[in-house]
Amino acid sequence: MNHWIIVPVVLPAILAGLTVLAMRGDLVLQRVFGLGGTVALGGVALALLVAADANPPEVYRLGDWPAPFGIVLVLDRLAALMLTLTAFLALCVQLYVIGTGWDKRGRHFHALFGFQLMGLNGAFLTGDVFNLFVFFEVLLIASYGLMIHGGGRERLRAGVQYVTFNLVASTLFLFGLATIYSVTGTLNMADLAIKAATLPEGEAALLRVAGLLLLIVFGIKAALVPFHFWLPGTYANAPGPVAALFAIMTKVGAYSILRVFTLILPPSTPATGALYADILLPVALVTLAVGALGVLGARTVGRMVAFAAVASMGTLFVAVSQFTPAATTAALYYVLHSTLATAALFLIADLILARRGDLSLAEARPAFAGSGLIAWLFLGATVALAGMPPLSGFLGKLMILEVARDQMALVWSVILVTSLLMIVGFAQAGSTVFWKSHALPADHREADTAALPFVSVGLLLAAIVALTVLAGPVMGYLSATSASMWDPGPYIAAHALPEG
Amino acid sequence: MSLALIVAIPFLGALLPGLMIRSGRNASALAAGFATALALLMLGLNAPAVLRGEVVQTRIEWLPQVGLDANFMLDGLGLMFAGLILGIGLLVILYARFYLAKTDPMGQFYSFLLLFQGAMTGIVLSDNILLLLIFWELTSLSSFLLIGYWKHLPEGRQGARMALAVTGMGGLAMIAGMLILGNIAGSYDLSVILQNGEAIRASEWYLPALILILLGCFTKSAQFPFHFWLPHAMAAPTPVSAYLHSATMVKAGIFLMARMWPVLAGTDAWFYIVATTGLVTMVLGAVVALFKYDLKGLLAFSTVSHLGFVTMLLGFGTQAAAVVAMFHILNHATFKAALFMSAGIIDHEAHTRDIRRLGGLRALMPISFVISAVAALSMAGVAPLNGFISKEMMLAEAWETAWLDNRWVIAALATLGATFSVAYSLRFIGHVFLGPVRSDYPHAPHDPGPGLWLSPGVLVLAVVLIGLMPMTTVGWLVDAAVADVTGADVYVSLYLWHGFTPALAMSLIAFAGGLGLLLLHGALSRAWDGAPRPEAKRIFDALVGAVRGGADALTRLLHNGSLTRAIAIAVIVILGGALAAFFGGNHAPGLRAGTPIAPLQALGFLLLAVVIVATVVLQANRVLSLVLVGVIGLMVSAIFVYLSAPDLALTQISVEVATVILMLLALNFLPKVSPPEALAVHLRDGVIAAAAGIGAGVLAYAILMRDFAFPSIAAYHLANSKTEGGGNNVVNVILVDFRGYDTFGEITVLGIAALVIYALTETILKGGPANDRLLAMDPQGRAGDRHPMMFVVVARLVLPVALMVGVFIFLRGHNLPGGGFIAGLVVAIALLMQYMASGLGWAEARQRTDQHGIIGAGVLIAAATGIGSWFAGVPFLTSNYAYVSLPPLETFELATASLFDLGVFLCVLGAVMLALASISRLGIRAGGTVSAAAFDINPSSPRTEEAR
Amino acid sequence: MEALLAAVIGLLTAAGIYMLLRKRTFPVIVGLALLSYAVNLFIFASGRVVAGLPPILAPDAAAYTDPLTQALVLTAIVISFGMSAVIVVLAIGAYLETGSDGIDMTDAPSDRDGPAA
Repeated sequence: MNHWIIVPVVLPAILAGLTVLAMRGDLVLQRVFGLGGTVALGGVALALLVAADANPPEVYRLGDWPAPFGIVLVLDRLAALMLTLTAFLALCVQLYVIGTGWDKRGRHFHALFGFQLMGLNGAFLTGDVFNLFVFFEVLLIASYGLMIHGGGRERLRAGVQYVTFNLVASTLFLFGLATIYSVTGTLNMADLAIKAATLPEGEAALLRVAGLLLLIVFGIKAALVPFHFWLPGTYANAPGPVAALFAIMTKVGAYSILRVFTLILPPSTPATGALYADILLPVALVTLAVGALGVLGARTVGRMVAFAAVASMGTLFVAVSQFTPAATTAALYYVLHSTLATAALFLIADLILARRGDLSLAEARPAFAGSGLIAWLFLGATVALAGMPPLSGFLGKLMILEVARDQMALVWSVILVTSLLMIVGFAQAGSTVFWKSHALPADHREADTAALPFVSVGLLLAAIVALTVLAGPVMGYLSATSASMWDPGPYIAAHALPEG
Repeated sequence: MSLALIVAIPFLGALLPGLMIRSGRNASALAAGFATALALLMLGLNAPAVLRGEVVQTRIEWLPQVGLDANFMLDGLGLMFAGLILGIGLLVILYARFYLAKTDPMGQFYSFLLLFQGAMTGIVLSDNILLLLIFWELTSLSSFLLIGYWKHLPEGRQGARMALAVTGMGGLAMIAGMLILGNIAGSYDLSVILQNGEAIRASEWYLPALILILLGCFTKSAQFPFHFWLPHAMAAPTPVSAYLHSATMVKAGIFLMARMWPVLAGTDAWFYIVATTGLVTMVLGAVVALFKYDLKGLLAFSTVSHLGFVTMLLGFGTQAAAVVAMFHILNHATFKAALFMSAGIIDHEAHTRDIRRLGGLRALMPISFVISAVAALSMAGVAPLNGFISKEMMLAEAWETAWLDNRWVIAALATLGATFSVAYSLRFIGHVFLGPVRSDYPHAPHDPGPGLWLSPGVLVLAVVLIGLMPMTTVGWLVDAAVADVTGADVYVSLYLWHGFTPALAMSLIAFAGGLGLLLLHGALSRAWDGAPRPEAKRIFDALVGAVRGGADALTRLLHNGSLTRAIAIAVIVILGGALAAFFGGNHAPGLRAGTPIAPLQALGFLLLAVVIVATVVLQANRVLSLVLVGVIGLMVSAIFVYLSAPDLALTQISVEVATVILMLLALNFLPKVSPPEALAVHLRDGVIAAAAGIGAGVLAYAILMRDFAFPSIAAYHLANSKTEGGGNNVVNVILVDFRGYDTFGEITVLGIAALVIYALTETILKGGPANDRLLAMDPQGRAGDRHPMMFVVVARLVLPVALMVGVFIFLRGHNLPGGGFIAGLVVAIALLMQYMASGLGWAEARQRTDQHGIIGAGVLIAAATGIGSWFAGVPFLTSNYAYVSLPPLETFELATASLFDLGVFLCVLGAVMLALASISRLGIRAGGTVSAAAFDINPSSPRTEEAR
Repeated sequence: MEALLAAVIGLLTAAGIYMLLRKRTFPVIVGLALLSYAVNLFIFASGRVVAGLPPILAPDAAAYTDPLTQALVLTAIVISFGMSAVIVVLAIGAYLETGSDGIDMTDAPSDRDGPAA
């Protein structure tokens, strides 16, 4: 029994607990333990990544109760991938927070951050749908705390909206779970997969409803139109680094959809068929369009980046909605890419905010210290996010165009046109923030020269470059991942479910 | 490997100048020059093989899953272009060093320039069209940076954005085109695609692919109607114009057309699209050029015209035409780069590029005059310069080619174009250098140092030499290039004198006409300026402005910040989706026998229904509606009791009490009434809500009336609760054992909630508007008896009892309804009563342990219990138990699960206490005892008026 | 009886949604509370319902009701308790910050992020 599987959940929980218990007053200790914990987490995640690649999916039976009666964690390539991504992102964000002193602006940042990681990792590892709900709640309530960290008028108002909307989503989640349990009598994902596939004719309708409710719940997390309204306000008003961390939150939605609708309700399921695929494609295209228009029309850098995040979810779901192994591979690559790129851009926006005073694009502000370097970072991140060559965004889009060849006319034109809109939008914004400012008398405010924030952004961009240069090997792992997702036999077998 | 290096060197070099700028402008210029020279050298080393007819290749695997690999190839065509790019690049680097001012960030300039150079080299050496696309877009990107190099100039910024938008658009179209091409050919490798010309031209996807790819080429090479961005790119520093906008970048489109010639050319579609576009562009550009006052504007449009010239020739699709095209590419690069540099020199010396303010410079700037004159004459097509030869050959091809069976159209228009090109070329000489010396130059002009005139000098030398001995100088190169364009062996013969041909006649006409136009220029240009004509920039700006405005409007319309609307939309979509999903599937009626309705239940139901409706109807009165919510909660727990769920009932009640207290406390800070809303709003929301309610109700009924499709896993829990879990209360065993992990997450949620609340309170109290509002609130509960004696006494008496009950509930939980969670709430509420009875100060003073500690301890104990089982070699949270009898209590069973339950208990206790303590701190700040006040609210008088 | 339970769930859901659509924080919180009653009963219902068969093991008991859904409801109750505590305090915070308990941000100056809080 490989106890390492549960470490990504327990380690942050214990550290956060200790932080609350023992080092409430001592920021330095909190930082040290926070960073140390995240680094350790990264190490464990990498180890699990390797293990998952070498071995078939492994089941961890909590309380030693056999599946499907107890709760199990399942380590497979997909879970390990998300764990690693989360740990890396968390590390970058934490460095940024420490470098900019964001954690001084309110209480309990590091504890909440730790619990957030616990929730994320728990959601990625669990093999039980109700437990997925529980860890959704863990990561959500931590995110509420982080989102309103530091307070402030607009932030609190946006916070109320964010929390309310997600509480509605959680309620919907429970409706969906209850429905699926009332039909199948089980909560274990692998067991559900079997039951869903062999469901009696007459139960189909209820299962379809349950699946749809879950799809919507995850769609809300993934900010798919028309459930995306919470995102722009939340991300634009959240603290920059928190918004950056939230880049993984939308991916939780994407992960859940990938997991549930390849394992439990794949298009091959008689009862549900292609229902969800048929819904997702148009939704994805509209989401992409809404996001791109938002980027072009945005009046502040913050909202521009927020809408870019929406657009990237749209692009991602174009790939997801294809529901083929190749498309899933492309989707996974895009998950990695868009998480890193979005996070980087949110951090850069925060760097600008800290130096420029505000993020308005309505008019130029005097050139600020360090704008040269920040301009380069901005260029890199926007090139990646707009899907321009040579960075990972372009490779991702290329693959998605490839896998969507059947709907060439529609999908290609939407993707390419929106790319143009985003390029124009980003160019406009960059020229306002970094070029136009030189037409004004420079302001000689003393800028903080902390290097750590730049290191953090640099790490993210470096990761994007690595993702581009090493695309070949990365794709190797990813295609293995999606292959195992589309052949869930070993995953289910690992549960050793009772016969009948 | 070497080819990859040739491409890589400029990119690596791009880093140097930026780094070396600290050591001075010369250093960075040298670094850039060195990188370029090195690349050029390596190219030269590969030249002999290429000229022998071999194709040098380098293949590096990158992304085989997609077919994107870093494959490079060098053939004649690539050699010619790469030579052009690197050679002229070297000259531009030299020129720029002396052109740029001390204030210009030179390191940055050379970085951008090398970035562009690398991208350009990449395009011409790519053997993989996806790779080519990458370099293609990189040129757009780097030219964006170069055009916007002078950040402070609005023209620069706008020109840069326009160039990026137009060429970027073309690039995106080309992505689609290339993907289609690759799909037809079954590979993205150029060498493979070039083999499949037949199949591709035969494919049904040929035309879309052709159009999309040509979109890329035409936008890049400034062909009509996408020509307008090029003149605005002239806002860039002149070295950039000389490099990008004459010699190289604009040639990328031409290169690609030549590259794809064997695959795409030879069809009618190709001829009519490419040749016609080229022809129109050639004439249009020439005409506009004649009337430009800005020297660089004139040169820009002449470039447009000459690009049209080459495009047209490629469009002809004949080998002979291809020869002329390749040859003219070289010639145009030489004289146009020279001319741009001269224009730059004039600007640099006379501080103006406005032709109307120039003239008579011949005497003042003899060297510049000679250079400009020779280059301009070549552009005009005057013998014995290289421009003459290619123009003659072009006219000959034009003479040969019919358009829609009409032999005259092309010939005539080509002559017309040539005429204007003669005119503007001579104007460049005449109006700038000839004529009387003026007294009103913005700055006294004189020849610059060799640093500036050396580069154009070299180029002009080439102009003359190529003109005099074309075969020796470039014949072999053109030969090699054309062989690869047409995919067939050719024997290029370039010579000055073609004899008395129609072409000679045409160019004589052109020359005469050109002179005539120049003489009439004054009158003509007045007429031109008077005439109304579409201003491309205005159209483009209007278009972009409209799109952005539309995007802004739509975005604000959709995202107007209304949560209410968002929720309404969500509810409607969920309902619709659920309905669609349901009726799309097969639904057998439920067979489960319903249980009959006893009158008592019916009564209870009616009561509950009334209360629910009342809650909604009376919602404006918040206190009242809150009380009603409490009643609903109690009735729900009654339902649980009746439906054999004692644990749920207990929990529901205790949570209910805590929640209501919490919200009552909250109401002290919030308005006590909700403002009225229009009836229409109520109706609309009522309909949505009713629909949702019906949906939920029907779904619940459908579920209640049928059995599980498969036996529920709960059977296992019932069967093993006692034997394996050691408890009779199955629910509790599930909570702390079967699904203890859920509970672990659940108590963490509670703990986090308390932390969030605490952090938020801190933020509010740290000062700012919120804090001010708190202080402004009038102290509550001053009136009347704040701590009623009876209540205090009762509370004191209750405390120990409550604690006992708590322990009792906790211990029996595993076998009978109860458990850590309920116990925690009971104790919390008991302590809460002390707060209420005696005020916060009293309670705070007597509270020894910090609630944070309790929460942390709770989480840690729970986690530790889980980890403990590792040492037994079993997974997280595996429980173990033994029976303990502890008089006077009944014998109970003590499981590690109970230890876990203790964690639950502590976490709940700490969380509730911390949450309420936080809120009461707000109350203290507001200057009253919140808890006491919570019980003497006067609903009719809102204590806090809304600040609007 | 099933019909009654379903009706209660429906009523609570309707009331909850209706309150959710009010434009003030407090009624919205009330709405969320009502919704959580509804969904708790719904989960409970998904285990089907019987009277007088508590899931407390006893030698004389003939059968038991579904204990699992009860456990799930317990978890749900606790979580929603924590959530409502947070949203309540958050509502207070927002009200104190802005002086208004309106939940929409239609007036929010969405063309200027920051200054850094």
